[in-house]
This record gives sequence, C-alpha cells and structure tokens, in this order.
Amino acid sequence: MTNVVIDIDDVSFNYGSVPVLENVSLKIHEDEFIGIIGPNASGKSTLLKLILGLLEPDKGTISKYNHDGKDIRNHIGYVPQHSTFSRDFPVTVGEVVMMGHIATSSKFFRYSKKEIDLAKQVMEKLEIDNIEKRQVGELSGGQLQRVLIARALVCQPEILILDEPTANVDMRIEEDIFSLLKNYSEHMTIIVVSHDIAFISGYVNRVACLNRTLVCHNTESISGKMIEELYDAPVKMIHHHH
Amino acid sequence: MNEFITALTEYTFLQNAIFACLLASIGCGVIGSYVVVKQISFLTGGIAHSVLAGMGMAYFFNASPIMGAIIAALVSSIMIGWINLRWKEHEDVLIAAFWSAGMAIGILFLSRTPGYNVDLMSYLFGNILLITRSDLSLMFLLDLVVLAFVFVYYKHFLVSVFDEEFARLRGINTEFFYILLLCLISITIVILIQLVGLIMVIALLTLPAAIANQYVTSLHKMFLLSAVICAVISVAGVAISFGPDLPTGSVIVLTACCAYFSSVIFKQFVSSK
Repeated sequence: MTNVVIDIDDVSFNYGSVPVLENVSLKIHEDEFIGIIGPNASGKSTLLKLILGLLEPDKGTISKYNHDGKDIRNHIGYVPQHSTFSRDFPVTVGEVVMMGHIATSSKFFRYSKKEIDLAKQVMEKLEIDNIEKRQVGELSGGQLQRVLIARALVCQPEILILDEPTANVDMRIEEDIFSLLKNYSEHMTIIVVSHDIAFISGYVNRVACLNRTLVCHNTESISGKMIEELYDAPVKMIHHHH
Repeated sequence: MNEFITALTEYTFLQNAIFACLLASIGCGVIGSYVVVKQISFLTGGIAHSVLAGMGMAYFFNASPIMGAIIAALVSSIMIGWINLRWKEHEDVLIAAFWSAGMAIGILFLSRTPGYNVDLMSYLFGNILLITRSDLSLMFLLDLVVLAFVFVYYKHFLVSVFDEEFARLRGINTEFFYILLLCLISITIVILIQLVGLIMVIALLTLPAAIANQYVTSLHKMFLLSAVICAVISVAGVAISFGPDLPTGSVIVLTACCAYFSSVIFKQFVSSK
C-alpha cells in the first residue's frame, strides 16, 4: 500500500447543536483519486473544510502527512464550489491563474518569469490559454471551472481538492473535466466531492459515501441498495463500463 | 467658460483648487476602485461620517481639525474592521452605530466649543476654494502613503479582495489586509473631505470607480481610468460652479452622479443593440 497523505480519525463536527459529521474515519493514500459523495447537507463540504483546516473538528483528529517534507499547507490545491466574487470584478483569466503563486511570490506589482511560464504551461494544458485576456465574469460555467482548477494547479499541489467541480456545467463539459482530472491523478492525490454518484464512479479509484457518517466502497461495489440507504429513496441505477 | 480660464490664470485660489482636484483624483481612483469591487460603500460612508468626532474634538481642544480627522478616521476604520471580523452578521447595524455615534460625538464637542464657526460647514460640505498650499502638501503626502502601500501589496490586496477564502488558504493574512485597506480608505477620505466635505465624500469614492468598472478588465486599469474620470468630474465641477457662484462640492457631486447615470444608460443602450 502507498503512503497515507491524509488521515481522518474519528472526526465529529456540529454546527451549534446540529451534528453534521459523526465518527468519520478515512485514510487517503498518495496518488489516489477519491470521490466523496452524498446527498445535499450530508456534510461533504464540511468535511472538505475540515481537511483544508478552515474548520476545526469538535472531536477526533485530521493528520496531513507530507512525504516530501515541504510545507503541507502550500501543497493542497483547492477548487471551491461557489465562486463568491461578483461577475463584474475587473480581473482577467490570466490574473486569476497567477493568483496561485501568491503564497510564494514576492511583494510588488510584478511576477517573475518563472511564475509566468508555469502559469502559461498550466493554461495551455487546460486549454484556456486562448481566453487569457478575458474578464472572468464573461466566462461560461465550464470555462470558469477550468480557470479555478488552473489556479489550484499553479500552486503545484500534491493534493488537489475539488468541491462539486461540475455543479454548474453540462454533461459534455463534466466529462472533459473528469478526464482531465484522471490524467492529473497519475501523480497527484485528488479528492472530489460530488452529489452525482453515477457519473463520478466511472473515474475515481474509490468512493466514500457520506451522510453524516461514512461508508467506504470501491467503485466496483456500488449497488442500488447502497444508494437507497444513502439517499433514503429509490434511485435508478445507471450502469457504466470501466 | 472663457471667464473661468481667464480667472484661472489670475487667481491663485483657483489654481490651488485645480491642483487639489488632481491630487484628490489619485487617491480617489485607486481607493475608490477597491471600495467598488469589494462593495463596501456603506462601510466607507460610516468611516467618513465618524470623522466628525475627531474634528469636533480637535476644535474643542484647539488642535488642527485635519489632524483630528486623520486620527478619527484611522481609529474608526480599525475599530469597525476589527469588530466586523468577529461579528460579521450585523455589519450594517455596526456601521450605522459608528456612523451616527461619530456625528453625535462631533456635534457634542462642537456645541461646547466657544465661537463654533463657518469652518465646520466647509468640512461638512467642502470648500475647495479655501484650500491652501499647506493643504495641498498634506494631500500630496497622503496620496504618496496610499500609493506606496498599494504598490507594495497590489497582488495581496487583489487576491484578498477577489477571493478571501482562497487567499486565506494560501496563507495570506486576510484580516490584516482588510484592516489595512480600511485604513487606506480612511486616509483617502481625509484627502477628499477638503473637496466635497465628509457628507458627500462617498460620491467621489464610488461613482468614478463604478463608471470605470464598466469599461475595464483589470483592477490596475480601473485605478487609472477612475482617477482620470475623477479628475475630469472634479475640475468640471469647479469650472461649472465658478461663474454662477454655486457651492463647488455640491456641483462636483452632482456632476459625478450625472456622469454615472449617463454611463449606465449608455452601457444599457450599447448592450441592447
């Protein structure tokens, strides 16, 4: 087995008196592509925020291991679900991608040539180099998602965390984004949160099903019964081939 | 108009007024852009009005009102910022409290000051024609402070204003930059008070930048464009008000409002085509 990079050990979390997560334990391994799925309000986003360190667990621990010995905080890339900025914010695609450098970049106006080159490479890979000068407010949902992924990749993370990356895009773009992530997952740990169980299981190595508590499964073993338990409603099973 | 240009070559006070407009436009363009993109114009209004507390105290203790204004603006922006970070859900109430408390304290002190005079009116509503050389030097100095901070921390401000959560995850001290931004706003308010007075300062910190926002794709371009717009509007205001001897501050503010609405209508017209 490969190295454990994130070890979630018996974690519980409440918002006030409302329990959101109860006794969740999960080990995430190096270069794993793991999907966290569950219905709305099942605690998926909360679990991500706990992993990111934006929230502290009420009980249990979350350990992050870094086998390269670098500062772990700079090695998690995060792609948020909601972009909170207003649509007319005057900032271009290129400028948003460059923001990935902020933790390590110098003060003052300019970025170094090395930083610019890296951003250009990432934009080319994500096929957004042709919209570099566009204002982010003009982008479609799929383009914006690619920009946010590019920004996270510019941080050169070892772990990439995405919160509902395909919530606002159509099926075709959803496929594009997941096959892109699949490529990156060969040398990167990727954690994706999604409510779309049918779709996600075609790409990830492992699915963690969350509804306040956690049940873990390999993608092969998802059954109709399990989905019913999770969503508490009959669900049509869509079969797909690996 | 000719009358104005002739007067401009003759009278130093008019030349000073034009210099004041240009100096104010620098702070106005840069900091106004942040106010607009971060959507904190109400908060900015709160800081502007709380400045009266400092001015009132300065009058009472016979100190320089503009120094009182600087101190009051900095203190209230740090307090509003700090409380706001810990008490986010009642931001508008908090601002209303600072807004009115600042004015109330100012008026209490002024009422106890013997011979409370016409100067107060010029701080409330501005009197650009009374600006002196030393006022101009102070405005220049304050502009330099604002520009220096923005130049050094441009990237950090951009990330924190654009996406605070991301900035925090990258290890940026977003609380520090938030409070620093409020301090820079308060310095700019003091610069602008000389032009249009503290009651109307909010117009110059929002309208030129909001116009610029409709035409640019980057924040640094927004700085430049809104500084130019602010300069044009304020110089135009001085020129229009000079002939019929109207209150300059009010004319500047109304010019800004007209420019803003024209721009909005123009944009609507263009995009509906």
